[in-house]
Amino acid sequence: MRRDTLVRACIAALLVLPAMLAGAKMARFDSLAEDLLPRRQYDVAVQVGLDGHGEAARVRTFAPRSDWHQQVVSEESIGPLPFSTSDVGLNREAVWSGGQVPDGVQAEYRFSVLTSDVVYALPEGLPVPAAYPAALASDLAATEVVQVDSPEIAAALTLAGADSGDIASRLTAIHTFVEGLGSRPFKGTTDALTTLRLGEASCNGKSRLFVAMARAAGIPARLVGGVILESGHKRTSHQWVEAYVAGHWVPYCPTNGYAAELPSTYLALYRGDEALFRHTSDIDFDYAFDIHTQMVPSPNARQTMGPLNLWALFDRVGLPFALLRTLLMLPAGALVVVFFRNVVGLPTFGTFLPALIAAASGATGLAWGLVGLLIVTLGVVLVRALVQRFGLLHSPSLAILLTAVVGWLLLVSLFADAVGLASLAQVALFPIAVLAIAAERLYLAWVERGPRDALRDLAGTLVVILGCYVVMNSLALQLIVLGFPEVLLVIVAADLYLGRWTGIRVSEYLRFRPAMGVVA
Amino acid sequence: MSRWSSLFGMNRRNVELVHARNPRRYYPLVDDKIVAKERLVAVGVPVPATLAVCEGLRDLPALLEGLADQESFVIKPSLGGGGHGILVVGERVEPGCWRKAGGEILDLEALHEHAANILFGAFSRGAMTDRILVEPRVTPGGVYAEMWGDGLSDLRVITLERQPVMAMVRVPTASSEGRANLHQGGLGLAVDLETGRVTRAVRNGRLISRHPDNGAQLEGICLPAWQETLDVARRAAGSVPLGYLGVDIVHDKDLGPLVLELNARPGLEIQNVHGRGLASFLEAL
Ligand SMILES: Nc1ncnc2c1ncn2[C@@H]1O[C@H](COP(=O)(O)OP(=O)(O)O)[C@@H](O)[C@H]1O
Ligand SMILES: [Mg+2]
Repeated sequence: MRRDTLVRACIAALLVLPAMLAGAKMARFDSLAEDLLPRRQYDVAVQVGLDGHGEAARVRTFAPRSDWHQQVVSEESIGPLPFSTSDVGLNREAVWSGGQVPDGVQAEYRFSVLTSDVVYALPEGLPVPAAYPAALASDLAATEVVQVDSPEIAAALTLAGADSGDIASRLTAIHTFVEGLGSRPFKGTTDALTTLRLGEASCNGKSRLFVAMARAAGIPARLVGGVILESGHKRTSHQWVEAYVAGHWVPYCPTNGYAAELPSTYLALYRGDEALFRHTSDIDFDYAFDIHTQMVPSPNARQTMGPLNLWALFDRVGLPFALLRTLLMLPAGALVVVFFRNVVGLPTFGTFLPALIAAASGATGLAWGLVGLLIVTLGVVLVRALVQRFGLLHSPSLAILLTAVVGWLLLVSLFADAVGLASLAQVALFPIAVLAIAAERLYLAWVERGPRDALRDLAGTLVVILGCYVVMNSLALQLIVLGFPEVLLVIVAADLYLGRWTGIRVSEYLRFRPAMGVVA
Repeated sequence: MSRWSSLFGMNRRNVELVHARNPRRYYPLVDDKIVAKERLVAVGVPVPATLAVCEGLRDLPALLEGLADQESFVIKPSLGGGGHGILVVGERVEPGCWRKAGGEILDLEALHEHAANILFGAFSRGAMTDRILVEPRVTPGGVYAEMWGDGLSDLRVITLERQPVMAMVRVPTASSEGRANLHQGGLGLAVDLETGRVTRAVRNGRLISRHPDNGAQLEGICLPAWQETLDVARRAAGSVPLGYLGVDIVHDKDLGPLVLELNARPGLEIQNVHGRGLASFLEAL
């Protein structure tokens, strides 16, 4: 048949075209597929709270710098206190200060960073230099808490086997020695000697001991302070060290056992033996880090979009990137729906309701998405049954239903917020009109075909939502679709294929058993 | 050919029959019962009389007034399907008050509300407005009355390019609440095209030999005026440029076969009634 030939040609084109586009992209940028794939972005909020008592108050912390390991893509400050950043030595100081600061002030400094894993291969046989540039003097010097000249440090160096050999082997020996000490979450500052004597310490004690031993061995070393990036809310910061090797500052974390490497979860905020926060005394200061993570297109992928640069568009218009991601994943969700309807033969309420609910559940998490859906449908069906009693005409009763969905969603959100179920509160993101229509269908199915049919369709809908959710939130698929949006053409090819697929649906093997002489 | 490969599932029906033979632009010719009826009448196909057509709310008072002293009638949404919105009304209890087919009482106010809902498209597959078709209530004749008098049984003939391919009778039962819908517990009788003889009776996918309500023997019944009925089906199918149709025919006690409506997407349950896939019938053609 002509139509079939046409469809087959289209499918072939839709499969070849994206392959060519992807190939061209990689060739043009001379990059690996890996460089085009999306990256994990961390959105960090440094939240501070203070009581200014109506007087002048000042809080100083550090803002991250971009370097080989981390790239700051955006930053902003939120809150009533004036905020500024300035370069001071190696660091970027970030300062909130105000003249008459009231009590209970909350302020936030937010930034987004892209990070990468970094691993150093240290050359062997590099001798410890006899002299260093004058600028490194402070990275070799003893301080009150880094007791470089103590005989105990010298003894430890011998014990560790770090008193001779090339730079790499000395650093490895020091790292192994310090890492071997016990770890213990001490509060406050622990100096190098105390750490050595106790044989255990938290990250700052161990890092100071590392620095002291490295300096004693003639290798410049310094403390690095920052946070470990992980989704959630936390107050814990982290410290590690950097040692100077032939012009490079090489990271070591004796606390977590990273030698000459830094994982992408480490975010450096400052260098040197500094406190993360300094503030006017007596202001009842408090702080926390709030960290979220999301996948974003890589800088290379952004460039390859040319005039179709959606990311730039979303940036300009001020739409959140997550929305773009959801939009790009929606075709995949729709394909899942098509699969369930046309291949499995599962009945659902509303053709694409499941995909839309799954998309909305991206923000709430699946469980809460489903709970939200059930609560909302239940509420709306009850209203529908009530409206039925008034014998209203069709369109006005639908309008009431829509209003009921809006009201009920807001009510559920308010309630969820009041009892602290932040995720459930997000149900307000549900596609309202689609829900109203689905609830109407559920009600009609219940009345016309009985509760059994209605519940069966509802169950089918839930299963398809689950399928859509799994697919639309699959990290692998998001990586592919965000890195290579031309994959959407492949999805269209699949839709085309299923659009001409004449096979028997799974459910029809049950339904047509009588026709096929298979007697139950 | 294996049995399953002779089966038409939804996908195959849509691709090979509906999309291939029924151009979408002609759907309105059958989806709108009033339009379809006009075409059927134009080519001389017998149909139930039209008592009234109501185009909008403005005509509603006149319609209700006209119906008030009717003994019995059927009111349908012109764009409806699957029996939705159809009221089978009669006999009359008093002026402006009737007994519905199920036995319930229907008064003028309820009729008014129902008619208005039809006009607002409540039963009309997504359309925003609709028209009302009012017909006399058909009284079945022949075996249709003797065997299955409670509700109105209808004959469904599947046609391909005007040729009848399969036929079945749908018989309402007590448990199907007067509806002939097969999913609702109605009976499906497989009819042999050559002879008009009932060859099998199926209920909920199971073979039965007798009517569950009155015990009447089902297999072997011969439908009345069979050649004439087939001819009506052929001519009805020829009235629209659609290649694949389901023709619904009832047997009036006085007028014989009457075409109720045409379906551009007839259901597939008929395969369960016959115990064979549609493809094996198409091959025999
Ligand atoms: N004029 C009529 N007299 C009696 N019953 C009717 C009449 N018209 C329809 N019906 C009943 O309603 C059912 C459905 O009617 P039909 O015109 O086929 O509409 P639908 O498109 O909803 O199937 C018929 O099977 C029959 O039982
Ligand atoms: Mg019908």
